[in-house]
Amino acid sequence: MSHTVLVCDDAIFMRTMIGDILAQAGFEIVGEAESGVQAVAKYKELKPDLVTMDIVMPDMGGIDAVREIVRLDPDAKILMCSAMGQQALVVEAIQAGAKDFVVKPFQPSRVLEAVQRVLG
Amino acid sequence: MSDAGIVRLLLFRVGGLTWAAEATMVREILPRLEPTRIPGAPRAVAGLINVRGTLVTVVEGWRALRQPEPPAGTQSGSTVLLQVSRGRKVVGFTVDEVTDLVSVDGAALDRRQALPGVDPSLVQAVGRRAGQLFVVLNTDALLTPILAS
Amino acid sequence: MDLSQYAELFLAEAREHLSACNQLLLEWERNPTNPGPVGGLFRAVHTVKGMAATMGYAGVTDVAHRIESLLDLFRRNAHPASEEVIQLLFRARDALHQAVELSVEGRERELALAEIIAELDDAAGRVASAAPGGRVSSLPTPTPPTPPTPQAPGGPAAAPAQGRLVRVVLRPEAPLKGGRALLVLRKAQSLGAVYGVTPSPPELEADDFDGSLAFRLESSAPAEQVEATLRAAGDVEQVTVGGAEVPGPPREAASGAVEAGEVVRSRHTRVDRRRLDALMDLIGELVTARGRLSELAAERRDPAVDDVAIQISRLSSDLQTEIIQARMTPVWQLFDRFPRLIRDLARELGKQVAFRVEGKEIELDRAILDELGDPLLHLLRNAVDHGIETAAERRRQGKGPEGEVVLAAVREHSSVAISVADDGRGIDRTRILERARRDGVVEARAEALSDDQLLRVLARPGFSTAERVTSVSGRGVGVDVALTRMRALGGSIELHSELGKGSTFVLRLPVTLAIVRALIAGVGRERYALPLTYVSETVELGTAATTTVEGREAIVLRDRVVPLVHLRELLGVAGEIPPARRPIIVVEMGGRRAGVVVDGMLGQQEIVVKSFDAPQGTLPVFSGATIMGDGIPALILDAGGLL
Repeated sequence: MSHTVLVCDDAIFMRTMIGDILAQAGFEIVGEAESGVQAVAKYKELKPDLVTMDIVMPDMGGIDAVREIVRLDPDAKILMCSAMGQQALVVEAIQAGAKDFVVKPFQPSRVLEAVQRVLG
Repeated sequence: MSDAGIVRLLLFRVGGLTWAAEATMVREILPRLEPTRIPGAPRAVAGLINVRGTLVTVVEGWRALRQPEPPAGTQSGSTVLLQVSRGRKVVGFTVDEVTDLVSVDGAALDRRQALPGVDPSLVQAVGRRAGQLFVVLNTDALLTPILAS
Repeated sequence: MDLSQYAELFLAEAREHLSACNQLLLEWERNPTNPGPVGGLFRAVHTVKGMAATMGYAGVTDVAHRIESLLDLFRRNAHPASEEVIQLLFRARDALHQAVELSVEGRERELALAEIIAELDDAAGRVASAAPGGRVSSLPTPTPPTPPTPQAPGGPAAAPAQGRLVRVVLRPEAPLKGGRALLVLRKAQSLGAVYGVTPSPPELEADDFDGSLAFRLESSAPAEQVEATLRAAGDVEQVTVGGAEVPGPPREAASGAVEAGEVVRSRHTRVDRRRLDALMDLIGELVTARGRLSELAAERRDPAVDDVAIQISRLSSDLQTEIIQARMTPVWQLFDRFPRLIRDLARELGKQVAFRVEGKEIELDRAILDELGDPLLHLLRNAVDHGIETAAERRRQGKGPEGEVVLAAVREHSSVAISVADDGRGIDRTRILERARRDGVVEARAEALSDDQLLRVLARPGFSTAERVTSVSGRGVGVDVALTRMRALGGSIELHSELGKGSTFVLRLPVTLAIVRALIAGVGRERYALPLTYVSETVELGTAATTTVEGREAIVLRDRVVPLVHLRELLGVAGEIPPARRPIIVVEMGGRRAGVVVDGMLGQQEIVVKSFDAPQGTLPVFSGATIMGDGIPALILDAGGLL
């Protein structure tokens, strides 16, 4: 059975691209969120195998959303999507419980590599 | 039209003369359709026709080429769809009859020639086929001024 | 991966964010001490940066990054922005916008961004040094991250000698090595206690961390397991456990390990413009075919055929409603670009202008909205340039120093009215009267100009150039453009102006262009369509008494004089003499009415509005054409043109 994924990013462009990369690799995109608040709500609702999480989003950023999701489910598998220059934020996200990160611009191979690591 | 090489031409008759248009400019040949008049438009404009959902302006061939009006009751003939303004527009052009599609050697055509009763600026070249003269039209020069909006 | 398929999505979304930037900057400019808009600005620029990086647009990414860095300083320290910084940010936003557009067109080489980048860096340096403890480096840490706490059941970190020494080297190309190193330490902690991390965790996050780290690991796991565990952190080039170097296996692309999916689902919530247009065209043809089917069904008188015809009719109506709805676009998508424009113009002219937008949520067909940009731009420019007075002049008039310009959209039953109002000086009619008399817009003896006549003078092509000395110079050009465009859209313009109080232009537009209900009128053997939006009633010639008013034939309808337009004469229709009793279609637009005399009424139907290339000389009374049920085109009369 394919793994289910929740894609969180405030940009449709990014959601589309990440979604396409993962869908082409056989993942099932079960939901999308465009804010941290939505990400938490959808996580509760969908219980996906994997979450991709943008760091900078309106209405609760990605890091706070990670904290909240990990509080609800300590085993949540969250992959952070960051940009160059966000080292400190990535560190913060990992401390909050994110399992791995990828850096924009996304290369499909690197994204899939990270996903495999997270799903272990 | 290049001076040398083979040129494909659509030959058609309007009034007493045979005319030709470069085949690359011809989009389609349709039977003659009754156009809807556009009030105020120049006399050479016959009106609008519906070509599969698109409105196309039709120019009356005999008026544009200053040929005698075909006798009443002869509503046969064809509408040739021509590309004008470098392919940006398509215009219908009514002819009495489409006679042939020919390939001729560009070198065998005479560059613009004065012909009685024909505006020289519309003549791109003059050729002969089976002893009969035909006038290769500069379709852009003919149609663009009529349709200028 | 083919990125070109994402270019349009990128462009659409980037534009939206850049438009939001303008709004937020304006808000910030109004109140520089309020850091409220900064968060949104930061997010918008950051999003553009991330998208651009993904598309491989280096120039856009770079500029966005510098803007983001500068904004970040304000986000962090919440100190007020100087006028200079806000101006710089406006310019930087414009540069970013241009970079986005050029990049999408494949013209990245034309970008000249060095200057704005230098300015941004310069400003960031100044802001950072002014702020206590500020850092110039890009995107400093929000809260200093706590170093990974060694899980040390056997004692504090003061026992470094225990455990095996582990060295890890990250791949040189690994991004954000500090974050990766943290993941390595996490993995190590899953095996046992970790001590003596070098470089120290804060140093790991420094930009110059080279990707080599070492620590002591207290664990009984065999070296191979330690290595495998640490490699799972990703981007690990080399692991050495207990001094013995373990060479890594050849790298392989993990993508190979993942089965290629067979289904690629698209989750766009946007639909390409062209696709919407194509869909609309198809619906148009469907509506035409439906009309034909209804006619055939009526001829056949077969109940079974009738049923199908009715069902198809209902389905296509629903489909049509849906698709029209999908084309509806809120006006803010256009209006949002104006606040910035008004601000820039006011600054340039040294005027104080408050700009207000109302009815942002009102929706119009996208095709109409796209055509409104230019006319509104002209009218707004005129309002600021010629309408609003300088602060000094306003004070002399007893007005507040700040002028007001209001752009408002209001839904009226089947149309939308968009008004541009200013509280400026109004139009001086006495100056224009002379010209109106000369042009024959009014009689030579006329003493005053109505709003309507005023509009007609202003809308004359070339009006402004001739009268440049007057206070309304320039108005003509804009009004001319606006009026022509409104005609083409089947809309109208109205003007109200009062000397010393201000002027208001009202543009009235159909909500959708594509399909309208229309009366089909017969004149001779010709058919014409008249959109119902502007038809107020129909009466019969003969029952209403005709009179002559100002030399024109008219009827009196409930005490109002309605001038008549004989379509047969106006359009030069040939043919037999019309019957004595004929219908009059009363059209009304912006308070003006006219009775259109036709030969007969052929019914009402939905028509698909299409444009046609009107040849020179075509009477200016048509807004388009349609294809009737029998496949023959009919021209659509423009109520504005008839009035």
